[in-house]
Amino acid sequence: MMFENLFSPQKLGKVEIKNRISFQPHLTNFAENALPSERHMYYWGERAKGGAGLITTEEMSVHPTDTAYEKLVEAFHPEVIPGFRKITDYVHQYDTKMFCQLNHNGQQCDGSISRLPVWAPSPVPDILFRETPKAMEIEDIEEVCRYFAISAEHVRQGGFDGIELQFGHSSLARQFLSPLTNHRQDEFGGSLENRMRAPLMFIAAVRKAVGNDYTLGIRMCADEMIPGGLDLAQVQEICGLFEASGMIDFVDLSIATFYNLYLVEGSMHTPLGYTIPLAAGIREKVELPVFCTGRINDPVMAEKVLAAGQADMIGMCRALICDPFLPKKAQEGRLEDIRYCIACNQGCIGRMGINRSLGCVQNPAVGLEKKWGEGTLLPAPVKKKVLVVGGGPGGMWAAKMAGRRGHDVTLFDRSDSLGGQVLTAMKGSGRDEFGVIARNEKEQVDKAGVKVELETEVTAEAILNSGADAVIVATGSQPKAHPVGGADGPGVCNVWQVLNQQVEVGEKVCLIDYDGHHRATATAEYLADQGKTVHIICSSLFIGAELGPTQDLYLTRQRLLQKGVSFTPDIAVMEVSGEIGEKTIKGFNVYNNVWDEWSGYDSVVLAMGQEVDDDLYFALKGKVKELHRIGDCVAPRKVDMAIWEGHEVGRTI
Amino acid sequence: MPKNPINIVVLLRETCDPRPPVRLTADGYDVRERGLRRLANPADLCALEQALCLAETHEGTVTAVVIGPQRLEDHLRLALSMGVQRCIRVWDSAFIGGDNISDARLVERLMEILQPDYFLTGNRLLDSGADPVPLLASAKLGIPYVTAALKVESIDGKVEVLRKCDRGARQLVGTSTPCTLLFAEGCCEARYPDQAMLMAALAKGIETWGTAELGLPYSELGGYGAVLGKECCSFPRSNPQRLVTPDAKLPAFDRILALLSGGIKPREGKLHALSAQQTADQLFKIFQGEGMFSGSEK
Repeated sequence: MMFENLFSPQKLGKVEIKNRISFQPHLTNFAENALPSERHMYYWGERAKGGAGLITTEEMSVHPTDTAYEKLVEAFHPEVIPGFRKITDYVHQYDTKMFCQLNHNGQQCDGSISRLPVWAPSPVPDILFRETPKAMEIEDIEEVCRYFAISAEHVRQGGFDGIELQFGHSSLARQFLSPLTNHRQDEFGGSLENRMRAPLMFIAAVRKAVGNDYTLGIRMCADEMIPGGLDLAQVQEICGLFEASGMIDFVDLSIATFYNLYLVEGSMHTPLGYTIPLAAGIREKVELPVFCTGRINDPVMAEKVLAAGQADMIGMCRALICDPFLPKKAQEGRLEDIRYCIACNQGCIGRMGINRSLGCVQNPAVGLEKKWGEGTLLPAPVKKKVLVVGGGPGGMWAAKMAGRRGHDVTLFDRSDSLGGQVLTAMKGSGRDEFGVIARNEKEQVDKAGVKVELETEVTAEAILNSGADAVIVATGSQPKAHPVGGADGPGVCNVWQVLNQQVEVGEKVCLIDYDGHHRATATAEYLADQGKTVHIICSSLFIGAELGPTQDLYLTRQRLLQKGVSFTPDIAVMEVSGEIGEKTIKGFNVYNNVWDEWSGYDSVVLAMGQEVDDDLYFALKGKVKELHRIGDCVAPRKVDMAIWEGHEVGRTI
Repeated sequence: MPKNPINIVVLLRETCDPRPPVRLTADGYDVRERGLRRLANPADLCALEQALCLAETHEGTVTAVVIGPQRLEDHLRLALSMGVQRCIRVWDSAFIGGDNISDARLVERLMEILQPDYFLTGNRLLDSGADPVPLLASAKLGIPYVTAALKVESIDGKVEVLRKCDRGARQLVGTSTPCTLLFAEGCCEARYPDQAMLMAALAKGIETWGTAELGLPYSELGGYGAVLGKECCSFPRSNPQRLVTPDAKLPAFDRILALLSGGIKPREGKLHALSAQQTADQLFKIFQGEGMFSGSEK
């Protein structure tokens, strides 16, 4: 077998997991009225169908004061049990074990949701929620213990195989353990023994509720990565003591806190498997099975980690959101069929950050498995001749889905390779993994029997003469010009021209960013990497205004500053003038309307966003039997919408 | 009628520091002995301390017993310096290769010969956890035993033992002599002998017993007496391949940088089981597709 370790069983407590792949806990926002929903069932069921050995649910709240997000399941209500049963029955039919994660978020909560004070060991506000909590009294701690026990009992009755207590990056337990958040002077603060008291009480309460034979584990934060917080050496000691208590069966791991959330959910710029050293460090000190999670999106890497003894279970989260069938494909040796996660964080974490339901850029079926999951794609009742124009992600998805349904599909692209704008976007600094979107789909387009015609400029006339039954226009978009004086003058170009090396860029560059996304910042970094002096002028409050939800903002700004890139925010650019070497940008501050100018640049790079390329669509409109328009040529958006629309039209055509 | 002094026997066992990863012998049948950090089992020392306290209170005698080669006399010297009256080292090469059953036969015989009122030892071994040998021996002789004992008191021939039970709760159990008590590690602190006691211990004699003293046939001992066939050893789980973990002494920001620049850096990619020529063609296609060759751009 190709992955001997990955597909060997592992015992966690009394439960045997069929393989080492664990679908890790993460928010979904699928809860309805604080209860588990049908969406949950199909969502987790799809991953069970895909071959994951273990699924751990998203955190379930154990107490009314725990309201970190609006759509958490409240496990302390007995009403959750029927929903739990439906979920576990559905998942168990695929021989996948299912654990439930219980948590109290402590200070990392939003009191405006519950209209209750936030509870924490000490009145230390969290950096993200910024709400000063109530220091818990002994009665409060005891109450949380009781609620942990009640919730655990509901979980057990709900048919779960085990419980994971969240002691990791976002949890009351970690706040007790960490000297950073625990400033208490009583028996719950100070020494390590005291700081461990409340977490041990939580464990003991749950253990008592579920009995000795039930699997119970914890998710620890392996290193808080913040001055004054827990480091690996301390967490090794804590894990050893938890193990010595004899009350837990496994140690799952996370990293960092909300002070450095970009490490909790490492984005594309974070190295693959960046937490492996920490998992290996914990595993050196404890005998219990240890999980490793953090950008392990590849069965080859997972196998290496297991073979090297650096972990016992591989936590995959985004990798299985992106491709629920990764385990099955890996087991069958179909690695070329795996849709690899690229950690763009746009559909998953990005949507969570703005309170939307979970999604994935590359997998439109996330959260809609009932409608779009495995086995829902039906053969087309009438086979059609379908032409897809534009081989970007939208066009590829449309062609792939239509091809799978039995249509006769031809996909045209004017360039010599499929991928569209993705092939340009991946050339930005640190954005190379973005190209995996195209690589993932190319093989699938071939396998779907789609005829691919590259380097072909398709005209309306040619389509009208082709006798096609249906035409899907996915011609995308192109960089937008800046409608101000001099924006088309010498030395002015756009980010796409820079990344595709279509223009010569001078040594002193001013980049005007109205985009706020990687298009601008990754190009600035790309230029800075070449030793150029780059200054960014933007109209928003700060550079990279769109990068917050995907956890890219912090590291992007850090890298830009390290590379000497300077910023001027709040500026509406109104004029670009001067010759090369003397380029001058004039604009005014959007808050005080004071005019200013920046001069002496060799080149000006524009990141103004995109405009549609819809000529072909309007040339065909009303002239073909069935005409569809998808992706950026409808309205320039991000790649997720192109894929979404391509998928949808391919399913329904 | 004068009261007989109570007779306490303490079994001291050798254990190893469990922290370094295990190494196996070349034939794979045993654990490599070289380089092991050996020490007296901490729980057994707690049992010894309890025995000494009991003897001091009730005018008893304490006999320390070890089963093993000469190096174990170090443990007996320690016991002597702590105040034990008699020390016995039991060893014969015939004991090698035994399992719990044959080892229990040995301990059972020792108990038959020494006739202790109290047979004390530790509840668990530091390296391998629970050791059923003392329990099997007691059960065979019909002697009651108490596990995870924390404290023992003898009042008018009645023995009361405080023990740990489910999830650390305390339980008081009553028994009678003779009995076997297995003490939990950490139930008390073993006394620290002073220099004079240590020097005095060096001069004291240690009895050495073999199969003749025990009066046991070879057929009941060691590999001959074992009921379990010995199979290959294997590692409990693969020893972790050491990775450089961020130095905990570094400031947090430097630890972050260490992680971000560390980990597994190169892309793992996909596995293609192809011939060299096909591999080259595939690579060329991928690179060309991604515009990595000059001239592949339009």
